[in-house]
Amino acid sequence: MNAIDPAEGERATSSAAEAAAGQGVKPLLRPHRWSFAAVVVLQIIGALAGLAPLLAVVELGRALLSPGPVDHDHVWFVVIAGAVGLFVRLVFTSASSGIGHLVDNHVQLAFRRQLALGLGRAPIGWFSRRRTGELTKVVQEDVSAVHPFIAHTPGELVAAFVVPLASLIYLFTVDWRLTLITLIPVVLAIAHVPLMMTPARIREEKEFDASLGVIANSVVEFVQGIAVVKSFGGGERAHRRFRTAVDDFVGTFLRWVTNLSPIAAGMKLVLSPPFVLLVVLIGGTLLITSGSMAPADLLPFLLLGLGLTAPVAALGHGFDDMRAAARAVGRIKEVLDVKPLPEPARPVAPQGHRVELRDVRFAYEGDHEVLRGIDLVLEPGTVTAIVGPSGSGKSTLVRLLPRFFDPTHGSVLLGGVDLREIDSRELYRKVSFVFQDVRLLRASVTDNIALAVPHADPDDVVRAARLANIHDRILELPRGYDTVIGEEAELSGGEAQRIALARALLADAPVLVLDEATAFADPQTEWAVRQALTTLGGDRTILVIAHRLETIADADTVVVLEGGEIVEHGSPAELLARDGRFAEFWRSHRSAVADEIETRAGVLQGEQSQ
Amino acid sequence: MIRMLLRVLGPEYARAMRRTVALMTVTAIAEGLSYALLVPVLRELFGDTPSNAVPWLIGFGAGVAVCAVLRYMSELSGFRVGTTLLRGMYYRLGDHLARLPIGWYGRDRVGEVSVMASRGLLQAMSVAAHLLGPFVSAMVTPLTIVAVMIAFNWQLGLAALLGAPIVALIQIWTARSIASTDAARHERDKEASGRVIEYLQAQPVLRVGGRTGERFTLLDNALKEVQRAARRTVLSALPGIVGMTLTVQAIFTALLVLGAYLVLGGTIGAAEILTILVLAARCAEPLLSLSEMGGKLRAARAQLARLDTVLRTEPLPEPGRPVEPRHHDLRFESVTFRRGDRTVLDDLSLTVPEGQRLAVVGPSGAGKSTLLQVLARFFDVDAGAVRIGGVDVREISTQELMRRIAIVFQDVYLFDGTIEENVRLGRPDADDAEVRAAATAARLDEVIERLPGGWEAKVGEGGALLSGGERQRVAIARALLKDAPIVLLDEVTSALDPLNEAAVHEGIERLMAGRTVVMVTHRMRTVKSADRVVFLDGGRIVEEGSHDELLRRGGRYADFWAISMAPVTSE
Repeated sequence: MNAIDPAEGERATSSAAEAAAGQGVKPLLRPHRWSFAAVVVLQIIGALAGLAPLLAVVELGRALLSPGPVDHDHVWFVVIAGAVGLFVRLVFTSASSGIGHLVDNHVQLAFRRQLALGLGRAPIGWFSRRRTGELTKVVQEDVSAVHPFIAHTPGELVAAFVVPLASLIYLFTVDWRLTLITLIPVVLAIAHVPLMMTPARIREEKEFDASLGVIANSVVEFVQGIAVVKSFGGGERAHRRFRTAVDDFVGTFLRWVTNLSPIAAGMKLVLSPPFVLLVVLIGGTLLITSGSMAPADLLPFLLLGLGLTAPVAALGHGFDDMRAAARAVGRIKEVLDVKPLPEPARPVAPQGHRVELRDVRFAYEGDHEVLRGIDLVLEPGTVTAIVGPSGSGKSTLVRLLPRFFDPTHGSVLLGGVDLREIDSRELYRKVSFVFQDVRLLRASVTDNIALAVPHADPDDVVRAARLANIHDRILELPRGYDTVIGEEAELSGGEAQRIALARALLADAPVLVLDEATAFADPQTEWAVRQALTTLGGDRTILVIAHRLETIADADTVVVLEGGEIVEHGSPAELLARDGRFAEFWRSHRSAVADEIETRAGVLQGEQSQ
Repeated sequence: MIRMLLRVLGPEYARAMRRTVALMTVTAIAEGLSYALLVPVLRELFGDTPSNAVPWLIGFGAGVAVCAVLRYMSELSGFRVGTTLLRGMYYRLGDHLARLPIGWYGRDRVGEVSVMASRGLLQAMSVAAHLLGPFVSAMVTPLTIVAVMIAFNWQLGLAALLGAPIVALIQIWTARSIASTDAARHERDKEASGRVIEYLQAQPVLRVGGRTGERFTLLDNALKEVQRAARRTVLSALPGIVGMTLTVQAIFTALLVLGAYLVLGGTIGAAEILTILVLAARCAEPLLSLSEMGGKLRAARAQLARLDTVLRTEPLPEPGRPVEPRHHDLRFESVTFRRGDRTVLDDLSLTVPEGQRLAVVGPSGAGKSTLLQVLARFFDVDAGAVRIGGVDVREISTQELMRRIAIVFQDVYLFDGTIEENVRLGRPDADDAEVRAAATAARLDEVIERLPGGWEAKVGEGGALLSGGERQRVAIARALLKDAPIVLLDEVTSALDPLNEAAVHEGIERLMAGRTVVMVTHRMRTVKSADRVVFLDGGRIVEEGSHDELLRRGGRYADFWAISMAPVTSE
């Protein structure tokens, strides 16, 4: 049981979490605001100190170029000041970057935990409309993509603006005319920006994103359907589709790049050091030859002038990352903003475990109703079998009981209390379920069975496993009940379903919801499910999506569902007598059953003849 | 890195790549050389007759212009090569993926490959388009400048040159230490992703136990591990970055001190020393940007390595002289197949005469599905041979083999298109009447009638908009249309409700008629229609015979069915 925490203390953390969820990203950053401030301040100091060696060269130049003897002491003082400045820069920028990355580290963990918490509260129904891959990407890659936002932006972006500003002020004091000339490349670069933002460019960028999406989809299709792809003529179709997607994408990319590259190249040219130096030198030569500027005054422009282009370069350079980060934050927020199914402020304890559905309607999306006015009572101590064609709403109906969704209209009551009024922990203690889509955790067998009962007695776990007909198989595993599933051993679909059944049996809840399709994994599982249905009985309320005709025949009540409505409802005998939909269904499939029963009789005879 | 890039690219693109790198190098050298002209310009400007600088300045201007043209050319060439590469790589990856054995495609491969084929490839190829240019110029330009410095003053130039090996050493050392922590981090990331997927998919059950958010320790631990690994990466990168900055700054300081010493001693003129210091400042910046670029290069490199692994995975060999089987009887001759160190099929022999039906029954993990997979050559066997009409499947071309086999799986994958498109996949040149006939035979017509849009109804990604039984019917119609002489069925009716099962069963019967069939099943009804049954356990045939024979024998096979008949004990 060590691998999974007991559930105690849940309340305390959850209320804090509730406060954080819904407000998005900001609360997660708030505890780090002083660290961010430190990152910025250290970075500014470091960056400004970085100007010292350049100024030292300038001062050296003034000392050397001034007429008269050179003041040795002054020269050495300037040299030392430059060296010290470099050292300060090293220490401060390193510290800033170090702190920034560590904060980023903490924030990423906080983001991921918050996302896990948020996902753990989102309505189960919400997941059915998302792909697991997409959500995993949010928790993993999108959180990582926030990195530049936190680790780099605050320090580096500020420095990219503060240093040029300081340089600019200094240069103005030296010579305002040459300062203006030095700014020419910056102005030229900024003039390029609107060219990159024209509607045509933006459209091309959107097309680029879209065609990249098409590629991803066609690859998924290609890979997922590979067996089909291969078994039908070498996969021409999917392969062709992939190639078309590639051609489209490359075409879009090329168009975008071709249109953009002259502009980008122009921008890079005017920002390149040789060009800036050329501009400064032309201006300097003009001013010096006309005698209106001292030659030594040219030096600061040669050294600091190049730095003036930094903000433009930083904007261009960090832009893509920043935009990617912003998009990632958007996706993270979207997940954090998902409203959990509301928990009752004043939970009411259900009395007993009679289940009642009152005029229940449900739609996954819009007004396409999957359930259209279901009225149904499940009495304790009875088995209710649901039958109906696929798409009739069976799966949706049974999933309302463990509150995977709330009905869009009407209500589901347990022990006379609306599910929405019942504390979710209490609800899960009362309702357990076995559906077909079993997912085992990469944890020990015991942990997997005892998932709902954290401090289960090992004997109880074994008893549940025996009942679910999986005990013997577990003993065959390398480390028996301690075997980690997925690492030390793989289980087949049927075996996984028996583990899930053991899980439900151990939970020992008074209401059991079961999808009998589970039983068809293999004969052992079928036996286990039958065993469960027979043994459990007692006072339990059992609702089963029936697949086997025996189950239907043995049920206390049969509900025939069609198009989201109950078309027939009663005991199997009553329904047969009524000669309606159920009777028709029964007759049309009895032949199949007869087949099966005949064969089974053969089995038994074989047994007996032994 | 470059070597891996060239290998991934393959010989046809490698040359264009090399040309681009050469062009970038020339550009960087030209930029460095153009700075040489700064020396005379500044000497004149700082001297007595500043106007003498003008011709030199014009020279410098010309130099800058040449650099600009070269730079534009190399950038354009980078983009061109990058784009051609991108298309080529996509094609190469696509072709390769199509040739890889189906067995290679495990469950987690889907996600991995699709990320690789979309963003991963783009990131790897961005090396050519965006990173290589700056990287080359950050390395080459400073070196050229140092050469220029040596030409003008050997003491200062030499002092600057001393830094080169140190910078190189630090680069290499940092790359190594980061590579190891990066690998660890990637491992943790993968582990955490697995846990996130598990957490998402197991939500319903986890909630029952109140294990959400931090209460679900398995996930939380994985997330904390990711954090620790990331912190280790940061810490291991820090000495490199600090060391790099320290070295570059130390060299600059050394030049400053040495310059001051030389100029005060009168060995060098004021203009020269100032010019050299301006040049030195020019060197420092690109060098410092190297460590920043390193991070991006590493990310691209990791993608490249993943791409390299996939591209180096061998597809199943195609026969040099393909043979066409004349008959369609099936034979396994002492077939052994291993997955990792587990023997899935163990010296298995069996035959299915043409036109007969064989049912394969057995407990989970007995190797039933694998038997079908080696027959369709999703994998090659480790020992023995699988023969169709006496011809080893490895002697038959993939296309020919696939033309002869129709497979229906338990999980049917449909392409995101209309029902008609999906059925037609069975035989693209079939006429409408044939498609309709196949649909009717598979009882797909009922489904089509019910769906809004009928034949034109979209089935959604993977067929998600249809129920399991409906997807089965599409798959059966597809197989009927294909009209292949061999039919393989894998647990086709296992998870269907009675209504669907009856319909699917009917379709299956029509599909099997007159064909050679191997079916894995545990529905007794299906088994009974087989001519012969083999009971498989642990990769071996335990029992073999007709259904009735085996039942009478009262062995493993009879036991297997008995359990589903056994009376349930009540506690």
